[in-house]
Amino acid sequence: MSTGHYISGIGHVGLIGWLLLGGVFDRVPEPFEVSEVSVISGEAFDAMMARSDAPQTATEVASPAPPPAPEVSPEVSAAADSPPEAAQPEVAEVSEPDPVPDTSQMTPPVQAEVEDTPPVMEQPSEQVVALVPEISVRPQPRPVDRVAPEPVAAPEPDVKVDDVVREAAKPQEPAAEPVPEQVETAPEEATTEIVTEAAEKPSSAPTKSMRPKTRPPALSATAAADKPADTPATKPAEKPASSGTKDAVADALAEALGGTSEPASAPSGPPMTGSEKEAMRVAVSACWNVGSLSTDALKTTVIVAVGMSENGMPEASSIRLLSSSGGDDGAARQAFEAAKRAIIRCAKSGYALPRDKYSHWREIEMTFNPEKMRIK
Amino acid sequence: MKQTLTLLAALLALVTLSAPISAQSGPLRIEITEGVIEPLPYAVPDFIPTGSAANEYSGNIARVIADDLSGTGLFREIGREAFISQITSFSSPVQFADWKAINAQALITGSVDVQSNGQLVVQFRVYDVFAGQELGDGLQFVGTTAGWRRMAHKVADAVYSRITGEGGYFDSRVVYVAETGPKDAKLKRLAIMDYDGANAQYLTDSSSIVLAPRFSPNGDRVLYTSYESGFPRIYVLDVASVGRRELASPEGEMSFAPRFSPDGQTVVFSLSNGGNTDLYTMNVGGGGANRLTSAPSIETAPSYSPDGSRIVFESDRSGNQQLYVMSANGGESQRISSGQGRYGTPVWSPRGDLIAFTKQNNGRFHIGVMRVDGSEERLLTASFLDEGPTWAPNGRVIMFTRETQGAGGQANLHSVDISGRNLKMVRTEGAASDPAWSPLQK
Repeated sequence: MSTGHYISGIGHVGLIGWLLLGGVFDRVPEPFEVSEVSVISGEAFDAMMARSDAPQTATEVASPAPPPAPEVSPEVSAAADSPPEAAQPEVAEVSEPDPVPDTSQMTPPVQAEVEDTPPVMEQPSEQVVALVPEISVRPQPRPVDRVAPEPVAAPEPDVKVDDVVREAAKPQEPAAEPVPEQVETAPEEATTEIVTEAAEKPSSAPTKSMRPKTRPPALSATAAADKPADTPATKPAEKPASSGTKDAVADALAEALGGTSEPASAPSGPPMTGSEKEAMRVAVSACWNVGSLSTDALKTTVIVAVGMSENGMPEASSIRLLSSSGGDDGAARQAFEAAKRAIIRCAKSGYALPRDKYSHWREIEMTFNPEKMRIK
Repeated sequence: MKQTLTLLAALLALVTLSAPISAQSGPLRIEITEGVIEPLPYAVPDFIPTGSAANEYSGNIARVIADDLSGTGLFREIGREAFISQITSFSSPVQFADWKAINAQALITGSVDVQSNGQLVVQFRVYDVFAGQELGDGLQFVGTTAGWRRMAHKVADAVYSRITGEGGYFDSRVVYVAETGPKDAKLKRLAIMDYDGANAQYLTDSSSIVLAPRFSPNGDRVLYTSYESGFPRIYVLDVASVGRRELASPEGEMSFAPRFSPDGQTVVFSLSNGGNTDLYTMNVGGGGANRLTSAPSIETAPSYSPDGSRIVFESDRSGNQQLYVMSANGGESQRISSGQGRYGTPVWSPRGDLIAFTKQNNGRFHIGVMRVDGSEERLLTASFLDEGPTWAPNGRVIMFTRETQGAGGQANLHSVDISGRNLKMVRTEGAASDPAWSPLQK
């Protein structure tokens, strides 16, 4: 053992002994603080907690700064908390009870007369309990009295892609002018197909939308009224019927010399365009009502000839049946009458046909084919 | 590349539309394939009374005509408040411009007179307003004042026929089962009424259950099934005298679902014997029954074709109810129904082109029609319970029974056009079921 070891051992033993026994001999106790606490009842605690506001949540929370160390311990009041003040309900003023009505002067109500009529049957409203479909159902056309094909509005033009956002240039709105009062009008309600009760169940939506149809060329039969007034409004008076041999010879001579007013067999001038013919077709279609035709007449195609005046008006007396197919004579007659009504009704003030091509539409042959309109 | 093709296609379409048709020769030719389906607007002013005794019939006859025509769904009446000119004389010329102005496409004028012998005389004319001419010739009906409704129906039939080209059905009647009492204890009796619900009368009392009345081809007799003897038996009732007699059938067996042949001499019906039901025919005057089917299944609801050569009926020989067609003399039958669900109560159209039926599928009942070979099946209705179709005399309208759901539900008669449009309830005094439409009255 070296001297260093002895010194180290004595030093450590002395240190441990001081640590263990050093405080025993210190008679001055360390000072300590005493806090008084108050005891409250459970009801008071519940009332206090009930009045506390709900904690508010915040989506963004700043990083908390370390709290400064309290220099002085908070003082705790020894007094008991006062119980929360419960809101006292307002006492409504009680009015005096209504006086009992004097029924001595009242007359009993007259019993309503009930007619013994059969009740009107109403369709039961069926409540469908089902999960909400994720796809919307195909809208069903409402069943209405009128079934007619309707043109579909053209879609809005696509926006041109560019880096710079620009608004479309719009013409300046004209100054407001006084608008005369007019009755509100709307096209007659129509559907494009016959919807039976059995077919009214909604179906699933299509996976992709239908391509919109092209808009048919706008046409109004009344547009003829806007035409220049320089054209004759009425047909020239018909040549009086000739009588006698002398007149007959004169007529024959005039015809041979080309002086007759009868139309030439071959039309001259610029021919009709496809869009002009289409406009005429759409105009007559709008008045071709097959709703009251028999099932046999709906199977009958008729070809009808009509002579036209130069102002676009059909000459009713010239409308005649050229041929028919698909039905008997009775069905053909019904189909022809429906076609005749369509030609006359939609003429109104004249079809919008080009005046400079009158020689081409002086005589029109219309084929009315109801194949698409049949009951299927 | 794609943009170029699109541009070329657009240019081609533009050229096609705007380029002159250089090859046109002769008249301009246009083909019209699409029109509109809407009720035809018409006007029917009050008929002109030729004496004070006819005043009460003047407006009433016009009202019945208007109700008949508008009730078809094919016509729409223009109210008299819209009239520009009035009809003051039956023989005066019509101011077509005034009727064109209110878009009346057809105009019906008429006169009514009560003669000194008490006879009612009704005259009428129909005009095509836009063509400016009369549709057919004027007609006149003579009858008793008590039969003014029938005369109005006859005028409406004539107007309907002239405009549509097919026969009318307004001067017809319907025999049906009138029901009273709660759903689980119904009292049933036979009743007859005009097709529109007017003039309803009872033909039997409610002492026993009656089922399935069917008119004879000329409407003078009715076949029906009654439980009067405890078993279902077939009876023949004379409509005029309300006298009835039982159609002979083997004792202790159930006979039901009778229907006349088109000539009115033969009755086809179902006979149940030993748990098996087959079709039989017998002479309506009596005699032995002729067996048509012999399958170990239930064959019932037979109906003749208008020419009397074939019979359509329902059978469960394939496992569930389906429709079959066979010769009127029996023999091999051919199944015509092919869709899902069960088919029953087939009825051959008086025109011979369609068969109406009841279909049950997915818990719902339908009235439908199909071609006689089973093709082109179309369902016209759908509800909790639709059954028992019967055809109007012109084969254009079907009447049937619709029963509503629940303990408080009741049966009523409905009608529908064969296009599926114009579904409506037929007015009856109370609950009604099992209608049978008569032919047009003579």
